Amino acid sequence: MPDPVPAPLHVLVAEDEALAAMALEDFLSRKGFRVTLAQDGQEGLERYSADPADLVITDLRMPRMDGRALIRELRIRAAGLPILVMTGFLSMEAGEDDLTSERWQPLVVLRKPVSPQVILDTLTSLARAAKLRPV
Amino acid sequence: MFGGVEAFFDTSAYLPHGVCLFWRPEILTLHIVSDVLTGLSYYSIPVALLYFVLKRRDVAFTWVIWLFAAFILACGTTHFFSLWTLWYPDYAVEGIVKALTALVSVLTAVALWVQMPKALALPSATQLADANGALRREVEIRRQAELRYASFFNNLAEGLFVVTVLPDGAFAFDTLNPAHARATGIDPDTIRGRLVREAVPPDTAELVIERYSACVAAGGPIDYEETLDLPIGRRTWHTVLVPVRGEDGQVVQILGSSRDITDRKRLQEELVQTSKLATLGTLAAGMAHEMSQPLNIIRIWAENALSRLRDGDTDTARLDKVLTIMSEQAERMGRIIDHMRTFSRRDGATQRFDPAASVRSAVELVSNQFALENIEVVSDIPAIDCVTRGRPLQLEQVLVNLLSNARDAILEWRADPNGSPAAGRIAVGMRCDLTAGRAVITITDDGGGIDPDILPSIFDPFFTTKEVGKGSGLGLSIGYGIVDSMGGRIDAENVDHGNGSRGVRFTITVPVFHPSAQNVERAHA
Repeated sequence: MPDPVPAPLHVLVAEDEALAAMALEDFLSRKGFRVTLAQDGQEGLERYSADPADLVITDLRMPRMDGRALIRELRIRAAGLPILVMTGFLSMEAGEDDLTSERWQPLVVLRKPVSPQVILDTLTSLARAAKLRPV
Repeated sequence: MFGGVEAFFDTSAYLPHGVCLFWRPEILTLHIVSDVLTGLSYYSIPVALLYFVLKRRDVAFTWVIWLFAAFILACGTTHFFSLWTLWYPDYAVEGIVKALTALVSVLTAVALWVQMPKALALPSATQLADANGALRREVEIRRQAELRYASFFNNLAEGLFVVTVLPDGAFAFDTLNPAHARATGIDPDTIRGRLVREAVPPDTAELVIERYSACVAAGGPIDYEETLDLPIGRRTWHTVLVPVRGEDGQVVQILGSSRDITDRKRLQEELVQTSKLATLGTLAAGMAHEMSQPLNIIRIWAENALSRLRDGDTDTARLDKVLTIMSEQAERMGRIIDHMRTFSRRDGATQRFDPAASVRSAVELVSNQFALENIEVVSDIPAIDCVTRGRPLQLEQVLVNLLSNARDAILEWRADPNGSPAAGRIAVGMRCDLTAGRAVITITDDGGGIDPDILPSIFDPFFTTKEVGKGSGLGLSIGYGIVDSMGGRIDAENVDHGNGSRGVRFTITVPVFHPSAQNVERAHA
């Protein structure tokens, strides 16, 4: 009996730039992901609570709830959830919010402008490290 | 009694006067000699008088002298007639001569008395000598003063010049002092007495004539800065014009003094430019973040489209959409770059502009940066027609500088143990009161406020509370200078927002006028 077809990996994209989110959705869908979009941290958290994702892509600067607050909330709910941060910030070192520190892992920061291929590669390696089923 | 004219002159009944003297030679001789000498003397006196009057045309009461001459002449004639009647008894004719003499004598006597008060009022020779002495002393004092002022004029470091206002309202150069000749490169001899519009190139003439006319119209001193192209090159001057009135109250001359402020202006501009670029530096992170957004969209769309193409998807409608998005995002980046470029540009001449546009622009420039630091910029800028005069970019610079200070204060206040971590709100407001002729721009923060002890010093050059390397201390003083040059003012006060929240409010007041008043104002100028 053949293995059942594995369900695609679920990615939550929290990004307030609708055009960037749309293009990512198109790209990742074509690469076999199920994509959920959220316009800010607040919506991201709501969508995650309703339908937990395997991976999260988030911007930092967003209205209502920013990326750091979203990451803090997600870490409370899922300590090992792989998170990919896309940001236009020049520097990530901001005191205790230093995203490169150990306490936020697993987390990867990519600087905008980001190549979708690099996003795909990063998601793939994050998924592998988290021992998620292959893409 | 009267037997007609002939009978009157008939002498047949009379004896000559000599008969009464019995023709005694010694008596006759005495009369003859006396009358001849008296008569001749009397005749010589009017001649002398006439000679005097003719030579001294400035003598007062000339007509009295003429009358006096006639009187003496008549007296002399009576003496000669006395001689005549010694031998010929023409007593009727002699009587007529005496009557004429009497008439002239009476006229002369009356005239003398009538003219007496006026004659007495004439200054005496002593009085005249005294007056002359006083005048000489006065002239000497004036001459000394003139020498002193001429020495000032010729040796003062300040450029001085004199312009004559002709009766038809045209202006002519009178003179300029050596300092001004050196500073302008104009040779005083080449322009002296010449019409301004003919002595200097048309562009320069138009500029200076406008100022001279303004001085005449103002009727009092005026004071302004101007940039002129002169033989020595393009220089900027601080000029003061003072009108001089003639006896009829009309302005007949303009005294001018000019100081070359080109170097000072250049330094000031350098300072403004340096501070502007420094401000831009503090905004770099925000700019980078802002530009990364459209760039990110472009990259994702471009690579996604490429990936689709390589997978054999050649949907042209989709490609069209992708390229349109990319083009729009490139334009969005261009606008951000334009704003930075405009802000960092050197500002040109003063112009009329809407101060609200500068406020909006300044808020737009900083809000991204501030949002990164969780600082909210709330602005309430009404859309009204409001026009001021100055350099729009400089006003924007002042506002960006104040906003940056507010943000620094908030960041410090958050870190301060006595401060408030909740701080993070900057309110920008604007009111334009056309009736009062002023616009008021306020920037209020909740960054804890300024120590009242240092509040009076914050506009001083090089005054800073920031740690070494963080602030030049020039921002506020440059801002003060910019607003001052617009005829406005800038003030700072501490404000209490309630609930323990406090901060600073900076208030900029600039003069404004209704846009429709522009033409009127130009006509006045």
